[in-house]
Amino acid sequence: MKMIGALLVIAGGGLAGWVYSTLLKKRLTLLEALIQAFQWLETEIGYASVPLGEAFTTISGRAQEKVKPIFGAFTAGLNSRAGLTADEAWQLSLEQNREALPLIAEDWAILADFGRTLGTTDREHQVTAIRRTYERLKHQAAGAEEEYKKNERLYRYLGIAGGALVVLIFY
Amino acid sequence: MGFEEQVFPFLTLRLRRALENLRRVVPGQWVKLEEIRLRAEKPLQVEMGASWLVTASGELTAEPEKALIIKTEDVQRTLQLMGENSFYTLEEEFKAGFITLAGGHRVGLAGECLVEGGRLCRLKRVTSLNIRIARELKGISRVLLPWLTRAGRPLRTIIISPPQAGKTTLLRDLIRCFSNGEELSAPVKVGLVDERGEVAGSFRGVPQLDVGIRTDVLTGCPKRVGVFLLLRSMGPQMIATDEIGRPGDLDLLEEILNTGVGFITTAHAWDTKDFALRPSLQRLWVRGLVERVVILSRRLGPGTLEGVWDGRAKEPIFSQVQRLEVRR
Repeated sequence: MKMIGALLVIAGGGLAGWVYSTLLKKRLTLLEALIQAFQWLETEIGYASVPLGEAFTTISGRAQEKVKPIFGAFTAGLNSRAGLTADEAWQLSLEQNREALPLIAEDWAILADFGRTLGTTDREHQVTAIRRTYERLKHQAAGAEEEYKKNERLYRYLGIAGGALVVLIFY
Repeated sequence: MGFEEQVFPFLTLRLRRALENLRRVVPGQWVKLEEIRLRAEKPLQVEMGASWLVTASGELTAEPEKALIIKTEDVQRTLQLMGENSFYTLEEEFKAGFITLAGGHRVGLAGECLVEGGRLCRLKRVTSLNIRIARELKGISRVLLPWLTRAGRPLRTIIISPPQAGKTTLLRDLIRCFSNGEELSAPVKVGLVDERGEVAGSFRGVPQLDVGIRTDVLTGCPKRVGVFLLLRSMGPQMIATDEIGRPGDLDLLEEILNTGVGFITTAHAWDTKDFALRPSLQRLWVRGLVERVVILSRRLGPGTLEGVWDGRAKEPIFSQVQRLEVRR
């Protein structure tokens, strides 16, 4: 009986480690999907000069499932006729998605910054802001990737080792 | 859809409420609403027959301290919403100083400008908005049509009037009548160069106001370029343009004259005397380039017809003062 309990604790520790490393992986793919979406946005605004609502509808149609909610909630806010400005609709969308997406505070801060000048400057400045946003996201993604590669196994082993330690102490 | 549904969604809540109250309090005057003016830190003003200030509860007043004061934020936010939150799509509009809403309502802009090398680059901070309600008064030109045609052919016509007397509204209806062939022996193919977008009220290139079924519209194109483009490519029987009065416009009319195509346009002037004296228009009058001059005023309200002159004989041929009304 005691043996089964001990095994369960070790397995639990292993699972926790695995979940943490998967979260890292998820954040990385999410960042990559965001970068891709922002690059599309650059084309929509920089070259085609399409209004925001239209541009984001196109992008949310093409983007990966995981990031769709951010763009979807934003266009919904813009079209709500509640008189939201682009910044307000963007911040609202981030707020609504914050719980569900495995991004860290720094990532959210970059996205929030992007909203500040959304739609209120000329094309050149919009493009600069979009570029700056995806460059910063790329930086975050590079960091996340490095951390993932370096620590993927570490976290898993750490989980198992943590479980084993608990077993040793209480056995 | 009334203009309220087309304009109100862009206004901030406090402005929307005041105007909705106004509509309820003075319904009789509301139908005469011509302009809504928003100026940062100044009272809400409307033009409805006369110039009035509006209180928060929707009453008309002449006392600024009782009126609802527009905040800078009201102007900014309204503009952002009008521009679909996408100022970068409105770069030309910020240079030209106005934007057009769905429904053809024109919004004039003023504020702080960005100038480079002596040329206006764009408005960088907008503090004044003038929302001009576009009204379609179909049929107001019918009484005039017999005077503006000869044997079914449209005569070269200019409509002159002081501001806010209904030039553009009349021009639009005349184009519609010619284009649809109303009260005419045969319809006319019209090419409209709508440089300021006010005649057809185009929104994303599609006319929002009725300019007839045989009208090709070039929106936002300088007259000089647009007229020749249309003449070359669309084979119009009549060219229509919005207000003329800049140097160079007259040369353009002379050239249209040489092609044998009819034209109709408008200009700012109080009467034929003023018209004949305005340096930019003088030649048109002196040389008798226009066959008909239609004179409007605000004497009996916007759209008062003062008369029609023969531009060559330089004498009135129709001088029954009346308000142009919708006739079916």
